[in-house]
Amino acid sequence: MNDHDEDATAEQLSDRERRRLQTSRLVQYLLLQAVIAGACVLALLQSLPGPPAQYQVTAFNLTEAGVERAVTLPYFSPLRNAMNDPPRFTGQFVRPAGEAARAWSVFLPRFTNGVEVTVNDVVILDSRRDPAANRPDRNTPAIAVIPASVLRDGDNTISIRLFIWGPITGFLDRIWVGPDQLLRPSYDLRTLIFVTLPVVFSSWQAILAVILGIMWVMRRHEPAYGVLAAAMAVGVGQAFLQTPMDETPFSKLNVVLISSAPIESALVLTFALLFSGWKWQRYGWILFIPGVLLALAGLFGNQATVRALFLVLAVPMVGFSLVVMAVVTARSALKRQNVAGFLLGCAVTIMLTCWVVDLLSVFQMMPNRIFTARLSYSVMLVAIGAGLTWRFARALNQVDGFAGRLVSQVREAEEKLKASFAREEERARAAALARERTRLMRDLHDGLGGQLVSIVALSERGNGSAGIGDAARAALKDLRLVIDSMDDIGGDLMLALGSWRERAMAQLRPHDIALDWRAVTAQGLPVHPELRPWHVIQIVRLLDEALTNAVKHANARRITVRIETLAGADGFDRGCITVEDDGKGFEITSEGAAAGAIKAARGLRNMRSRAARCGAELELSSCAQQTSQGTHQGTRVKLTLPHRFPDSDGAAG
Amino acid sequence: MNSLSDEPKVEAITVVLVEDDAPTLWRLQDALAKAGYQVRAAGTLAEARACLAQGAPRVLLTDLQLPDGHGVDLIRETRQRFPDTEIMVISILGDEESVISAITVGATGYLLKDAFPTDIAATVRDLVAGHSPISASIARFIVRRTQSTPEPPPGPVLNTAKLTPREIDILWGIAKGFSYAEIASHLGLSRQTVPGHIKNIYRKLEVHTRGEAVFEAVQQGLIRL
Repeated sequence: MNDHDEDATAEQLSDRERRRLQTSRLVQYLLLQAVIAGACVLALLQSLPGPPAQYQVTAFNLTEAGVERAVTLPYFSPLRNAMNDPPRFTGQFVRPAGEAARAWSVFLPRFTNGVEVTVNDVVILDSRRDPAANRPDRNTPAIAVIPASVLRDGDNTISIRLFIWGPITGFLDRIWVGPDQLLRPSYDLRTLIFVTLPVVFSSWQAILAVILGIMWVMRRHEPAYGVLAAAMAVGVGQAFLQTPMDETPFSKLNVVLISSAPIESALVLTFALLFSGWKWQRYGWILFIPGVLLALAGLFGNQATVRALFLVLAVPMVGFSLVVMAVVTARSALKRQNVAGFLLGCAVTIMLTCWVVDLLSVFQMMPNRIFTARLSYSVMLVAIGAGLTWRFARALNQVDGFAGRLVSQVREAEEKLKASFAREEERARAAALARERTRLMRDLHDGLGGQLVSIVALSERGNGSAGIGDAARAALKDLRLVIDSMDDIGGDLMLALGSWRERAMAQLRPHDIALDWRAVTAQGLPVHPELRPWHVIQIVRLLDEALTNAVKHANARRITVRIETLAGADGFDRGCITVEDDGKGFEITSEGAAAGAIKAARGLRNMRSRAARCGAELELSSCAQQTSQGTHQGTRVKLTLPHRFPDSDGAAG
Repeated sequence: MNSLSDEPKVEAITVVLVEDDAPTLWRLQDALAKAGYQVRAAGTLAEARACLAQGAPRVLLTDLQLPDGHGVDLIRETRQRFPDTEIMVISILGDEESVISAITVGATGYLLKDAFPTDIAATVRDLVAGHSPISASIARFIVRRTQSTPEPPPGPVLNTAKLTPREIDILWGIAKGFSYAEIASHLGLSRQTVPGHIKNIYRKLEVHTRGEAVFEAVQQGLIRL
């Protein structure tokens, strides 16, 4: 009960902490978005640099709906449609004398929807022939060089007719008339920002449409990409297809393009929802109703109706989409700590700000009419591109990490398998050896062993056949050695020496020779996992040889066996076995062979050969004379074992 | 201690000697008789049973392969009927195969058939004195069985579960060729207690009944029921 309560408290605590963390994140996010929006507003309030003020023409006489009055540009016309009787602005400008050599131009930075400029009763510009300039959502500037023949020194008349075809009211910004070279930079700047850049971004949008389309085709289970690809495609179509002014047979179809804005915003909104984890529902189609309505109106109504509906359907739809997206991306960015979501959220904030400013401009609450919503859409495109690249890079990293992990896991498993295989092989080898040994033992037991014992027994009963008995006993001893050496001693030579000690004692007892067994170092000899039965048999036979020499030729009374581990010069520990007797010794010739009996000489040669086969060092020393002060009297056989026993007895001499 | 041949004959120790190879039998019999033991010899399992029917011997020395049966059965019977009789197996090679199977039915040690007569007498004398002999190779076999292996190694079944760490240490010492005195000083024991430990080891390795043998085999996972 108590535990339960504590658990609950802990959970609440962590809940509260999590909530606090989320709140702080939300506040940070909102603050950042506010900063972004503020920066946007500040940037939008900056007016673009204009040509020198002395060439600006501001005082105009406006003839609008049959009424004439004086106005100052910029001027917002309240009319929504004035194609047949457009408002006419008439003004005066002065060309100083001596300017005839320079080309003069009329520069109109911004107007909706179309203008026709007349200088001294000569038409020099009709913007309606420029499709890009006809679109109210683009801030296309216009410039026209006034033919030299038209201009005169002193006063000149400029007249501008403003054609308005909606959906918003008419607008004419300030105009400049002056030397072309002074007006041109300002015009170029505006063209760059409001004409060239949108084209660049539209191309980027086209590329995105292709990339996203491919992504969707390859990953059908992620419809978000398909939706976004559709949005991009609609956007590209809207940007590059022209809207003609005249009623043509295709105008009915072209008018559908007007519905692109609500459809595109609905698609982008759907993408944002899907991207943030929302599952597509049937009611999602509601989002597309404004766009479809607008398209139907375009197909079955006239252009005026469509333009009227555009304000009611398209603009709010764009705003609605932006608001919903702002919420959705904020949630996604906060909950999933997602860089792509965060970028998208910032882009939405910028777009939303621009949209609000545009709206204020439409309702003439701004001093100017520069629409930036469409332009700010490019920020969204950049965010989408960046987000996509980020996801792609992250996915690649994950794949790399996964592959790396997989590789290391496979390597680990392989090594484990190899080790276990080696272990298994070793075990199988040991088991096979043990089985073979058991079989051999039984065979020897049943046959040879018993017969040898009988020979020993019989030789003891008959007199004068001691040699036969000794030979039979030696044969039995060797049999035991062979079997013993086949036993798995796990690389511990001490276990083999233990048995050898017993046999040695049995051999020495009848001769009344004492065996002094000294294991000098506590653990005896180092363990050699590579030790094989044939190594053991060589070493034991070598020791037997030393023992037999001491018994038969040296007349020894005491044999000392020293077993120790010595630190080698190369840093490795080496086992060392010394067999020393107190017998009469013998002379060792330069070849290392004993100068005494031929049999003993052969025995020494055998010992050397056995040591060589095991990679061991054999050191023989012998004193022919018994001296009392010698550290060793008699013979000493010192066997230094190798650090590692050789695999094959290729070292055989 | 002096040679046993100097001891009074009244305390003659009875030895039943079972060996089917005649020359070997004579040899062993001679060695024991010369040392003053009262030897009853048998060449077959039936003869051995007849000898035992006369009364409990102090010592039973038996070969394993007999013309009419196996020495293991004789050892088991003797162990049950005469718990005080010391039993040793006569082996040609002193190999674990034969010795361990004898130990598990109650033998305490082995005698090599080609051992010198003095050694034969000395071994029996030690046995009677309560010193069960153990060889390095037998000790090695036992201690290697105490090391856990995934599958039972070949050779006779042996349950080493009852052995204490100290007893295993003693066996390691013997296997590596150390003398009792060296083992005792290494392990901080009195030299005199080592033979007692070895006798205990033999007793612990003994499987008393067939049922117990099955039980232990099940315990070790050698038999699946």
